[in-house]
Amino acid sequence: MSAKHFGPPKTPCAPARKPSGFPLGWYRYRNYTIFAATCIPMAIAAVELIVGIRALGKGEAAWDAWLASLATGPMRALNIVCLLFAIYFAFRFGWVGRKIAAGRIGPVPKPPLPMPILGVAPLGGFATLWLILFIILGGFV
Amino acid sequence: MAETRMVKFEVLRFRPESDKEPVFETYEVPCMEDWVVLDALNAIKDDIDPTLSHRWSCRMGVCGSCGMLVNGRPILTCAAFVRDYQGTIRVEPLSNFPIVRDLVVDLESFIHKIKSVKPWIIRKIEKDVAEGEYRQSPEQLEEFKQYSMCINCALCYAACPVLAAEPEFLGPAAIALAHRYNLDSRDEGNASRFDALNDGDGLWGCSYANECSQVCPKHVDPAMAIQQAKLTDALQFVHVLPKKSFT
Repeated sequence: MSAKHFGPPKTPCAPARKPSGFPLGWYRYRNYTIFAATCIPMAIAAVELIVGIRALGKGEAAWDAWLASLATGPMRALNIVCLLFAIYFAFRFGWVGRKIAAGRIGPVPKPPLPMPILGVAPLGGFATLWLILFIILGGFV
Repeated sequence: MAETRMVKFEVLRFRPESDKEPVFETYEVPCMEDWVVLDALNAIKDDIDPTLSHRWSCRMGVCGSCGMLVNGRPILTCAAFVRDYQGTIRVEPLSNFPIVRDLVVDLESFIHKIKSVKPWIIRKIEKDVAEGEYRQSPEQLEEFKQYSMCINCALCYAACPVLAAEPEFLGPAAIALAHRYNLDSRDEGNASRFDALNDGDGLWGCSYANECSQVCPKHVDPAMAIQQAKLTDALQFVHVLPKKSFT
């Protein structure tokens, strides 16, 4: 049984209402919406970096052209916006995480493995991803 | 006679036989100092307007029936003291659920989602009753005890911004409950919950708004359960962790 397969209400109903203050009317939902929107500048920054790596693989002239494009006013403005969103993302992620651990009742359930081991898996995956990107975009294959 | 104070309540009404959409009605209620919002709603129904519909049962924060929005925030009305609010108190049905009548919402989708994660102990081979109970140490109980405190009040669903944008999302209580059984040493049904948790509307839809944990009256902390479940399921997916199950 999937959670999707619930039918329409069995009696005449008024449509569900959105939470009060969603998505921008209340500061907590507003913070969340901005947090969710950080994916857009982060995606732009990721594309920009991939273009840069590709330029690096194409040779010195392409690399210099890419560096020159970064020095233009609009690109600088774009990168400042991306940086601000990235800082906001990191700040809120840590802040929410701190709040989740505070004021709890009962013990914190143990992680499934020791934390140093759990930390290796995502870092290893991240490093592998960048290595693959470097090999492909760098023109080694 | 105990002293009373007149408090104005704005209550969202919806009578499907006559209303095209919900409308607010205002009531002046003489409230005593120790009243909760649920007492005021019962007073409206008993003495002012007997057509008002709302759910309630235990009046002590155990049954989870009386969850509503009070001044826009999801809360059990049996735990919301009138004296804690200034001015007019606005009472609405839980958001993110269709409204059946007045303050009563349709919880069909919620029940269906809860059921989809199989929130019961699943065993490969059931022991015979004569063999006795499944033993568990206090340490094993502590692993999941916090997540077993959920009373299915659905306040977390009313607060969740992901559900507001994606009504198909499995939701905080169902994921926390699945995680609770996955952590249970007596359970062997991890893999049979894996699909429900990891499909497109499952736990990966959560983007960590944390509103569910903010409004939970039992401090279950569903947001934490969801993040732990993500980590566990990701490690199981890449076979770093074994699936504790037989299917």
